[in-house]
Amino acid sequence: MSSFIPNQIFTTSGSLIDLLDKRLLVMLRDGRKIIGYLRSYDQYANLVLQDSIERIYVKDVYGDLDRGVFLVRGENVVLLGEIDNNKDDDLPLNQVSFAEALRIRDQEAEERQKQERVKNQLLHNQGFSVDFIETDLY
Amino acid sequence: MLFYSFFKTLVGQSVTVELKNDLSVTGTLVSVDQFLNIKLDNIRVENEEDCPHMMSVKNCFIRGSVVRYVRLPVAAVDTALLQDAARRETQQSTTSGRAA
Amino acid sequence: MADTLTATPAPAVPVPSTSVQEPLDLVRLSLDENIYVKLRGDRELRGKLHAFDQHLNMVLGDVEENVTTVELNAESQEEVVRTTTRKIDMLFVRGDGVILVSPPARAV
Repeated sequence: MSSFIPNQIFTTSGSLIDLLDKRLLVMLRDGRKIIGYLRSYDQYANLVLQDSIERIYVKDVYGDLDRGVFLVRGENVVLLGEIDNNKDDDLPLNQVSFAEALRIRDQEAEERQKQERVKNQLLHNQGFSVDFIETDLY
Repeated sequence: MLFYSFFKTLVGQSVTVELKNDLSVTGTLVSVDQFLNIKLDNIRVENEEDCPHMMSVKNCFIRGSVVRYVRLPVAAVDTALLQDAARRETQQSTTSGRAA
Repeated sequence: MADTLTATPAPAVPVPSTSVQEPLDLVRLSLDENIYVKLRGDRELRGKLHAFDQHLNMVLGDVEENVTTVELNAESQEEVVRTTTRKIDMLFVRGDGVILVSPPARAV
């Protein structure tokens, strides 16, 4: 394919084509991580993922939840990574239930939020712009 | 198109992409497109303890819009050429902008 | 008479490259000079401008980056404002994070 269209790899579709049908980790703008098989995509990096799971990582544990088929709008994609199955099988992390992972994460987030509020006010007073919402970062 | 062309000259070089969520990914630049989406191979994450999800990932596609910086190998950048190209590019875009 | 009401037509000859007609001309004149860039996320850069485009994407050389952070002391609940500095030899900066660009300071 690339032999008769040499510049093919320098388009969005060209660079995603070799990820088709691979198991990918997709990071979304809101911080969520989805793992699934890439079945389709377009030039905006809109994606269709099959047999997907949502995985919550917190500290040294993780929790999975089956999510089925996802169509992800491109603008919400931060990064796609091809998963090395050898490495994925022996992660130095322990699996817990999704509910447990969620609980630990929310606990941590609450703690952090309290501190952020104070910090942001201080930075604002110094003339820095303050991002209030996580998705505002991008 | 200046930076798209520029990044194409850097294919094969080792670069570090710093994302707006503070994730820093180092790897070999494989490809870039007109949105400055970036593909990296053999990746390594700078703050690995903060991102356990990246441990099993070997190559990745980064959406251009989430990039904050790309740290580049200084030897691979011809600064004189780059400045000339930037002067030409802006001259072009302003004249065509007025004509339109 | 009608002429006086119309906007000045674009000059037939190219404008001299030293004049400032639109905001980005100021950036063009800063090529190969040290500039200051303020970014979102409490970041500031100082470095030599090698390239830019209409989005204010830039390539800077010999960059010094300052990041201002606030840390909370757990015991005293006191806030400490800290600036972290790092040096980067060659850096591409994506334009959507840029708040302002300031040309090199003139000798006073």
